[in-house]
Amino acid sequence: MWKYEKKLEYPINIKNKDLKMAKALLEQYGGSNGEFSAALRYLNQRYTMPDEKGYALLNDIGTEELAHVEMIATMVKQLMEGASVKELIDNGLTGQYVGHDHALFPVDANGVPFTAAYFATTGDWHADLTEDMAAEQKARAVYEHLMNMTDDPDLLAPLSFLRQREVVHYARFKELRNYYLKKFNKRDV
Amino acid sequence: MNNYPDFRKFNYTNMYNNLFNQNIDNNIYKEAYEDSNNLYDPYNGFIRGNLFKDLYDPYKIKVPYDVKPMNEQASLLTDIDALGFAMVDLNLYLDIYPDDRKAIDLFNQYRKQKEGLMEQYESKYGPIVLNSDSLNKYPWAWDDMPWPWDN
Repeated sequence: MWKYEKKLEYPINIKNKDLKMAKALLEQYGGSNGEFSAALRYLNQRYTMPDEKGYALLNDIGTEELAHVEMIATMVKQLMEGASVKELIDNGLTGQYVGHDHALFPVDANGVPFTAAYFATTGDWHADLTEDMAAEQKARAVYEHLMNMTDDPDLLAPLSFLRQREVVHYARFKELRNYYLKKFNKRDV
Repeated sequence: MNNYPDFRKFNYTNMYNNLFNQNIDNNIYKEAYEDSNNLYDPYNGFIRGNLFKDLYDPYKIKVPYDVKPMNEQASLLTDIDALGFAMVDLNLYLDIYPDDRKAIDLFNQYRKQKEGLMEQYESKYGPIVLNSDSLNKYPWAWDDMPWPWDN
């Protein structure tokens, strides 16, 4: 089970409304390489890891990803705070307004709804962990694109934090995969 | 102002010496970058999103942003955030290297420090977790503002 901590993993206090960034950030909310996708990927894959190291790592990274979902949602919420209908429409958020007003809904930057088809569980540690490594790299790349779009420190600080977590998670998944390659005497071919 | 110890001022150098020098597990394929003596302290790891100096790979930002608390409540929360972050990052490391005694000791040191600060914070400003003593209060305090997503 899970226990909630009534705080963010990293603080977010955005002062300036920015609807273009709100729309772009949705990519990391309901997009294919986003935080929802990451959390569900690892939390579903954890059941069929070969030993306790895999159980623990996928459980714990999956849990941290839920905290990242919350951070992205908080950024989108604060970036849209007080936006008028006209402002939403003028910034490409017509679909957002008409379907959801200011509410959070897991879609990507183009408004495409989240789907479980964005991740896989194969029951094969080699396949799953290789997907996980790629997922972390793709999320890192998306964070860099987002960081390229803004110079607002209120956004850059949490985005930089989240990007760095992808770097660490990638390293841990790689270590786990390499540990299993050795343990099960399997070639990475 | 703050009546709790500021862990950012501690000297961590000795604590980190040889943290990863011991031969943890011969069966584990150990990445070259893990052969490191170097960890950031909780605050400096927190603002970077990475406790492990040799894993740190910044982008666009040359110097990480300091978290600038506006008041004593935010300052106490920043210290809790930093210790909580250090625990998260050490936990992931220890999942792969469970025989690293020094990392376990460090994890538990941070856990205890965080526990103390949580108690102080919750008694003054309200609950962060549902097993807090601060919930023994009328009326029910859990739903009190602020919630994390509000500015």
